[in-house]
Amino acid sequence: MCAEELDFIEKYDLLGCIQCGRCTGGCPVALRTPLRVRCFMNDTQNEERLEELSEKPEIWDCTTCYTCAARCPKGLEPLEVLIGLRSLLIEEGKVQPTVRDALESIFKDGNPWGSPRAKRLDWTEGLEVKTLEPEAEETTDVLLFICCTDAYDPRVMKVAQALVKVLDAAGVDFGLIGEDESCCGSEVRRLGEEGLFEMCDEENVELLNSFNVNRIVTVSPHCYNTIKKEYHGLKHEVLHYTELVAQLLEDGKLELSKELKNVVTYHDPCFLGKQNDIYDEPRYILTRIPGVEFREFDRCRERSLCCEGGGGKMWVESESKEERLAEIRVEDAKEMGAEIIAVACPFCLLTLEDATKVKGVDEEMRVADILELLAEAL
Amino acid sequence: MNMVVCVKRVPDTAESEVHIDASGKDIDKSRLSFGINECDNYAVEEAIQIKERLGDSTVTVISMGSKESDEVIRMALAKGGDDAIRLEDEAFAGGDGLATAKALAAAIKGLEYDIVFTGALADDDGYAVVPAALGELLGVPHATYVKKVEISEDGKKAKVGRELEGGLMEFLEIELPCVLGIQTGINEPRYASFKGIKQAAKKEIAVKSASDLGLDASEVGEAGSWAVLEKFTLPVVGEMAEILEGDPEETAAKLAGILKEKGLI
Repeated sequence: MCAEELDFIEKYDLLGCIQCGRCTGGCPVALRTPLRVRCFMNDTQNEERLEELSEKPEIWDCTTCYTCAARCPKGLEPLEVLIGLRSLLIEEGKVQPTVRDALESIFKDGNPWGSPRAKRLDWTEGLEVKTLEPEAEETTDVLLFICCTDAYDPRVMKVAQALVKVLDAAGVDFGLIGEDESCCGSEVRRLGEEGLFEMCDEENVELLNSFNVNRIVTVSPHCYNTIKKEYHGLKHEVLHYTELVAQLLEDGKLELSKELKNVVTYHDPCFLGKQNDIYDEPRYILTRIPGVEFREFDRCRERSLCCEGGGGKMWVESESKEERLAEIRVEDAKEMGAEIIAVACPFCLLTLEDATKVKGVDEEMRVADILELLAEAL
Repeated sequence: MNMVVCVKRVPDTAESEVHIDASGKDIDKSRLSFGINECDNYAVEEAIQIKERLGDSTVTVISMGSKESDEVIRMALAKGGDDAIRLEDEAFAGGDGLATAKALAAAIKGLEYDIVFTGALADDDGYAVVPAALGELLGVPHATYVKKVEISEDGKKAKVGRELEGGLMEFLEIELPCVLGIQTGINEPRYASFKGIKQAAKKEIAVKSASDLGLDASEVGEAGSWAVLEKFTLPVVGEMAEILEGDPEETAAKLAGILKEKGLI
């Protein structure tokens, strides 16, 4: 470990912490794991304890949902301290094999799922989609940034397919990067691999800037957050698909003719809501689908309960045997009589759908991305 | 303890479609990604762990291949390797495991070593020849499919466990210096961070040709091989092959019927 990395006090403004406990008080995973981020804000001030603290398994329980930072009265970001501790382990090479494999796969093939680059467009089979050429003379309106999970996961690729159908129906001029598209690096940064994230930042900015497009639209809120807020030197505007689709509906460019006679609730993804204040667009879209009866979770919008899919948690299993937050979410949805939990994030889709199976309610309730519901209503 | 680890950069074919290229002697690698041979990754980890355990040790990384192999060498250096040598020469092309072992042996002979680690076999050609041939050429004992290594206190011997079938392990006592062909699963390879790999890029990799190693072109590569690859062909679907069609339930029932009919179950 080098001295620069050890300087936690300065890097995370630790002396600004007043130990009020609002971070831990609102932390969703504190419900089920021993993680108390307030303690880490205090303990990491002692340089000599950093190594010992980095070896505590609960630093991997953090989903980086951002509740702690949103609630901090001093404007600090406690989650970043946990990411900093993860970085110490990464530099020592001491990470779980699943994390190692995901990171090596990103380095080698540009995705965390251990799949070859040559299969990145498999999800487009049967669809007619334009692949963009760098430095093209003609401007394309929208560059679709397809998340690795949407491109490779057999369940989630249906969401990307639905997006293509919806944009086609609305007559949007769009294109894909193709096989050269690489992981945005959101999970890389949150797993603590700073160096690899810098590579993702540099290479993706250069690639994205090479396309003659008006704007970039992402499928995942994780890509959205990172490309919009964490990249350096990007010249294009970045939108999440919910922003684009809400606009298309408002402008009357997207017509929904079929009814979806279901009770639908919406689970706010942390990276869309808490971290980017996009709460209204998803609700606007859902309530425009004919037949939908929309109901809210008690814990919604800023207070929404995290699904535990972010922050690298797709590759780290918590040691806790307590009920998963996604299972609590599914129970709440069942209680309110929801037949569909709508989401707008690939990780939320996977964690919540899994929870419906664990809870044995997958026959009576389904989890679907907003895009899938839209495609059904076209 | 002075250790040498031999690593190979190989294409990753586990998840990819593999096609024979126009020459008929190789696969089309244009759309494949490359990385360290899986067994070799465990060999690197084993050497680094021994270095960490014993202290006062060196790990030299050797690879045969083009400049692109520097990537896997750097990864091994980032994990704790000290020096690196890359063997590159047109004369090395098309060699079998024996020809590869000749070049490696020539490079290793000039070094002080107690243990030479290799992977048990390579993911691409799967010959599994290098550790045995290397031991023979260096005139030292070797063990293959090694899944456990314990160095004696005086550092003169090692107790090694070889993986046999059915979960059995064969234990041997082997005198150092020796060559050990490492099998996957012996340890849990660590992660090499991006910063670590970049840092390792500052270390020099000594590049050596056949003549640098005192080898004649006729001794290495295809010319120096006992086994020469003539061509790849896809297995021909013969008349005896029957493809069962239908959903899993139907095909399972058909398969069970056939097995019963032939008196196999």
